[in-house]
Amino acid sequence: MAQYVYDRQKMSEALTAIIAGNSSEAARDWLQQRLEKAASIPQFNQTFTAIPRFTGKNIVTVSPEQAAVLHQLVPGFFVHGWTLDRLIRVWWLLQLDATDKAAYLDTVEKLFLSAEMNELAALYSALPLLAYPETWIFRTAEGVRSNIGVVQEAVMLQNPYPARYLDEPAWNQLVMKAIFTDKPLHLISGLDQRSNAALAAILTDFAHERWAAGRKVSPMQWRLLTAFVTADNMADLTRVWHSADQVEKAAAALVFSGSDYAPAKTLLASDPALTAEIQSGALSWDVVAAKLTQN
Amino acid sequence: MCGIHELTEKDLQPLTYTPAYLDKIKGMRFFDPHVHMTSRTTDDYQAMADAGVVALIEPAFWLGQPRTGVDTFRDYFNSLLGWERFRASQFGIKHYCTIGLNSKEANNEALAEAVMEIMPQFIYKEGVVGVGEIGFDDQTPLEEKYYRAQLELAKEANLPVQIHTPHRDKKKGTQRSMDIAIEHGLPPHMVIVDHNNEETVKEVLDRGFWAAFTIYPFTKMGNERMVEVVKQYGSERIMVNSAADWGISDPLAVPKTAALMHESGIDSNDIHLVTYVNAVKAFAQSGQINEADFDIAGNIDQSEKFNGSTVLRGGQQPRINKNTTIIR
Ligand SMILES: [Zn+2]
Repeated sequence: MAQYVYDRQKMSEALTAIIAGNSSEAARDWLQQRLEKAASIPQFNQTFTAIPRFTGKNIVTVSPEQAAVLHQLVPGFFVHGWTLDRLIRVWWLLQLDATDKAAYLDTVEKLFLSAEMNELAALYSALPLLAYPETWIFRTAEGVRSNIGVVQEAVMLQNPYPARYLDEPAWNQLVMKAIFTDKPLHLISGLDQRSNAALAAILTDFAHERWAAGRKVSPMQWRLLTAFVTADNMADLTRVWHSADQVEKAAAALVFSGSDYAPAKTLLASDPALTAEIQSGALSWDVVAAKLTQN
Repeated sequence: MCGIHELTEKDLQPLTYTPAYLDKIKGMRFFDPHVHMTSRTTDDYQAMADAGVVALIEPAFWLGQPRTGVDTFRDYFNSLLGWERFRASQFGIKHYCTIGLNSKEANNEALAEAVMEIMPQFIYKEGVVGVGEIGFDDQTPLEEKYYRAQLELAKEANLPVQIHTPHRDKKKGTQRSMDIAIEHGLPPHMVIVDHNNEETVKEVLDRGFWAAFTIYPFTKMGNERMVEVVKQYGSERIMVNSAADWGISDPLAVPKTAALMHESGIDSNDIHLVTYVNAVKAFAQSGQINEADFDIAGNIDQSEKFNGSTVLRGGQQPRINKNTTIIR
């Protein structure tokens, strides 16, 4: 049974190097001391909880080379913008002995059960690195259901675990919850790769509901229809295309540009300026995302 | 259809107005060191923020009905560290908590043992500023046993202790609580004695403990009496809280009391001490309070405030419907 699906030793070393560049000598000495007692579960747990008291919560800086190493070991794994305590907690989890599967799962599960907000955020951020990855699927769905913003974000945003392990209904649930809670969709790892016909249908239904209530629909959500433009949803996308809101129109243009559906191509071609903007790269989903956060 | 005229969302918004007492305390910041937000609605957070409450402490307490297992305690502690902290943050209020086994439930020995076992997992968590609220209710031997055990935990973790003093036989219960704390080697400056009244305050202050007063209608202190206490004893080591919970109580008790003190001619520096500074100082001994965080918390992001994961619905209006300054 595979414990780790990546090189744990190398990952631990890479994180140790990032921690070294971002922490004080006192914090590193403390961690070294705690490492000697890490085999005892109560001591392991207490250290996990106490980390911010001894390390502080500065935002870590990661060099492009360091980021590349992380990405090479676990594709999509990303620590940029984390606080130091979160990074160290994730590293600390790698120091837990995983040879006894039952004991390992029990310890990590109990950390989840008694975690406060920042601990939960660290635990969910660690999902791509935990041993026995297939066992955390239920946990991930629990994290998506959380009502606490930082916890949801730790699961949903810049985390490669859900795209890799969630089944389609759970994945769709994650995307819809992200939309309901106004999360920046473009930061969901694997968003385009895991788009699917069922999700496209859910999203058009959702748009009808919003429109019926006189509410707006986030332009970003149309991105998920790109590979699924059909006669069924072309009328909705045409409505978005004709919106007075330039960002909405831009979103429709990007969908049409990525689609193979002939009527969509034709509509896009009716606006050569917009077509040129997309071709030159001046208009992209990241540009749309940036415009939305400005508003 | 019910036959009345068609209602729109606008008709359902609560009426809002600014109570007069808010003018008297404009620009003041308050710290409520004892309030059970779990029992309150989100409207209360909004009203507290509007009245200048920038931070608060939620002590672990009794939920009104005894818990039957340790898991519900774990969930409760988790909610103090998670959901409540998040809910408060949506209004720019910094939320801290104290963790403890309350005196009433200490009388269920099997449960108490199980709770004591999980306590060390919680008292070292971020933003836990003390062991509390612990002490006596009926003053039974079991209450004493777990009070003592928790004093030891607090001592080991170097955390302040927040003591709940009993409603019945209060004077004796308060004295005993202080004696036992000293016996366990806790210095008085690490102990906050709560729910004081005119009968207990002198001894608590004379012995060097912090004296907290709960402004709670009908059962504990009224704030007119509180004004008299501050006039008589000054502002050193005295603090005011609301202890608002599931009973008839008022989460705006601290700002209202400040307004009444202002009206009664108490010096604004003394008001600041008893409604903010002293409590911050006492609980900052935990190493878990950084006043700079209050400003960060106050810097709320409107988009976050109204997003779908919050407790508010888009466009919902604050509701302030308690406009008298006096609480009797
Ligand atoms: Zn209380």
